[in-house]
Amino acid sequence: MNRFASRELSMLVALVAIWAFFAWQEPVFLSARNLSLLSVELAVTAVLALGMLVVLLPGQIDLSAGSGVGLAGAVAAVLVFWHDVPAPVALLVATLGAVLVWSAMGALIAIERIPAFIMTLGGLLVFRGLHWLVIENQTVPVVEGGSQNVYSQLTTYYLPDAGGYVLAGLAVAAIVASTLAARKRRQSHGFPVDDGELTFLKLFVLAQLVFLVVIVTSGYRGVPIALVILGLVAVLVHQLVTNTPFGRYLYAIGGNEEAAVVSGVPVRNTIIGAYALMGGIVALTGFMQTAYSGASTSTVGSLMELDAVAACVIGGTSLRGGRGTVLGVLFGALIMASLLNGMTLMAVSPEAKYIARGIVLALAVWLDLRLGKGR
Amino acid sequence: MSDREVLAARSIVKRFGAVTALDGVSFELRAGEVHALCGENGAGKSTLIKLLSGVHPHGSYEGDILVDGRRVEFRSTRDAERAGIAIIHQELALFPDMTVGENLFLGAFPQRFGRIDWDRVYAQSSATLADCGIQLDPATRVGDLGIGQQQLVEIARAIARKPKVLVLDEPTAALSRNEIDALLAQLRTLRERGVACVFISHKLDEVFAIADRITVLRDGSAQGTLDAAGTDADEIIRRMVGRRIEDHYPRRQSTPGRTLLALRGVDVDPPNAGGLALHGIDLDARAGEVLGIGGLMGAGRTELLLHLMGLWGRRRAGTVELDGQPFTAADPRAALARGLAIVTEDRKRYGLVLPQGVTFNVSLSSLKSLRRGVFVDRDGEVARTKSIVEELRIKAQSLEQPVGTLSGGNQQKVVLGKMLLTQPKVLLLDEPTRGIDVGAKLEVYELINRLTAAGQAIVLVSSELGELMGMSDRIVMLCEGRIGGTFERSAATQERLLAAAMGRLGRAA
Repeated sequence: MNRFASRELSMLVALVAIWAFFAWQEPVFLSARNLSLLSVELAVTAVLALGMLVVLLPGQIDLSAGSGVGLAGAVAAVLVFWHDVPAPVALLVATLGAVLVWSAMGALIAIERIPAFIMTLGGLLVFRGLHWLVIENQTVPVVEGGSQNVYSQLTTYYLPDAGGYVLAGLAVAAIVASTLAARKRRQSHGFPVDDGELTFLKLFVLAQLVFLVVIVTSGYRGVPIALVILGLVAVLVHQLVTNTPFGRYLYAIGGNEEAAVVSGVPVRNTIIGAYALMGGIVALTGFMQTAYSGASTSTVGSLMELDAVAACVIGGTSLRGGRGTVLGVLFGALIMASLLNGMTLMAVSPEAKYIARGIVLALAVWLDLRLGKGR
Repeated sequence: MSDREVLAARSIVKRFGAVTALDGVSFELRAGEVHALCGENGAGKSTLIKLLSGVHPHGSYEGDILVDGRRVEFRSTRDAERAGIAIIHQELALFPDMTVGENLFLGAFPQRFGRIDWDRVYAQSSATLADCGIQLDPATRVGDLGIGQQQLVEIARAIARKPKVLVLDEPTAALSRNEIDALLAQLRTLRERGVACVFISHKLDEVFAIADRITVLRDGSAQGTLDAAGTDADEIIRRMVGRRIEDHYPRRQSTPGRTLLALRGVDVDPPNAGGLALHGIDLDARAGEVLGIGGLMGAGRTELLLHLMGLWGRRRAGTVELDGQPFTAADPRAALARGLAIVTEDRKRYGLVLPQGVTFNVSLSSLKSLRRGVFVDRDGEVARTKSIVEELRIKAQSLEQPVGTLSGGNQQKVVLGKMLLTQPKVLLLDEPTRGIDVGAKLEVYELINRLTAAGQAIVLVSSELGELMGMSDRIVMLCEGRIGGTFERSAATQERLLAAAMGRLGRAA
């Protein structure tokens, strides 16, 4: 218990320190506009990281996620801008394609036993090449200049203030209801629960945070739709990994694959399923990231797989599989997104940015190993 | 045996947090004796030998350790090794991808001009192996050896360092009868040379076959040291458990019903060419019956069970019927769906997801039937786990306690519980009592009785003849992948079973 507490606390301290540092260096970091942008950037990073969580839990990895992001965004942009395909159709086609391709990678990994590291490293190169082929090394906007479509609105649509508050209210109500229901169920099974005051305090802080987000973002344009998408994906992935047989199988395979096989866990199908889901999430992230850039260019998605892995590891996901939570990953993604956003604000050179990302990634894994020793 | 004391522990107290593992234990080892340590799991045997071998360094315990009468302070296992104490742990510490010779000399390679002198490595390895009475080519890759042979290599490695004291923690757990005999003979030779041995084993017949003196531990305190010649197994067990066990094998026979599992002329090709194949296996397991399967190491017992579960080999000929229907499992999932379940020999490797809790592990094989919509039915899951925990008397602080922190016996019960929850018709048990304490063993036997009384068929694989004879209604002995003999309980004697296992039934009977 202590180890978890110390880990969570040290992450919180790190986050506060990062924010304090950037606020001190660039006061504009805390402006409503920047925080709103940060929340969109968080949404993009976190959605991909949640997909990465599903792949890491059974002890696999996806290094092709970043180039997949670029490719999926490019395919949709090319369909929309060059071939006049309606945006929803373009998004659907690109999503289905990604799910198919990732399922195939999953099948090669699970059935043919190609190590995930190698398979997806191959994917990284192939998808990067395809990405550049598809856009013919040009800049392909996601929408005709001056107009809007579903694609472009992924990162440019903001809920009106009233909508934001209603949504926040609903979200808080849902969280409170599900927390209390879970607490009651644990009590009825005789499991230990936090005492009432602590539960109330946690919910109270959480509710304040939700409304704080709405208040801050309404100071700019309102709650970004990207943040709502993140919320939906987070709830979905959380339910999937904690409350479905599929999720249990992910943890079981990561915890002990041999025991999982003997226990009758459908190991192959579970791993293929994890990659199929990753494909869908890669496509979604691709659309959001490309929309955020305004157009598909050769650099969209570059290195995002490493940000996603870093977010997972910072959030307590084990690279060996079997351990990790959605909440942790969201937290890790917030740290990564804050670092990237702050460095951009400070006009840190790309060279220095690469170095900083690399150090953070290594640091996060080292921390994971250190804190994991007690097990 | 002389009265010279080579190693002694005086009033040792060792605590792990709030738990007292050793509570004022004294123990002395004389030159040229084999001294057995007996006790249930958790009695403190392993903790004691970890102290004596420097795993728990000086300062982490109270009391004194003496070597040749002088107080010593081991800071590490290296200190203990230098003092002449060699230990062979339960878990093998060999490198499977290295040769026997490399393993023997790892860390102490003979060198010439800074390069390893391979000629000397293999010459000395051969000499060491011959000295230990082990017939092995030192250039063999260790991973290609069976577990029993690996164990012998481990012992040879310890002996190669010419220790004063050799500590063996459950050395025979994975060995077949003749490998055990070879090991015990080896210990006798060492004893004649004046080496003192600490021997830990759950198998009392071995203890009495080899030990000069026996110290019994219970709940972290010593229950006396006895001369082996002046005591018997009942006395030792009484001191171990603090109560007298009248019947070690409480099998209650029930009337057998219809045949649930039937094999006819089954031939199986091994997954690796040249490995052990199964030939012409015929056997029946009926409802309410325990079918025992015995045999020496490498006879194909485990392979047969794994084949039935779809985990090993390809069937070339013969038929398998499960409850009257033709049966072939592509994988354990398919086997479980048809009502065939297995508790494997190596529970940590093939049985448990160690970091996860009791509920997670118990329900893992039954999630398909524990659903409400797309979600896992948490209430139903907890309720079923609770009833399993109560039925099997699994001792855990909570249903969420990671199973990696449970004792061996309770871990085994979790694996059993997981399989029982799938409601199998036929339950395959591979060495279900290996490495668990006497009390937990009895509970496993009682469970077998309850299951057969309820109409399930049990296939019990065991390398302990006593267990086979005590718990089976019929016994099939395997010998190099073939049936060596089939016996009714009443007709089974140790001699006949062993003869069948060695393929010489005709001559012996």
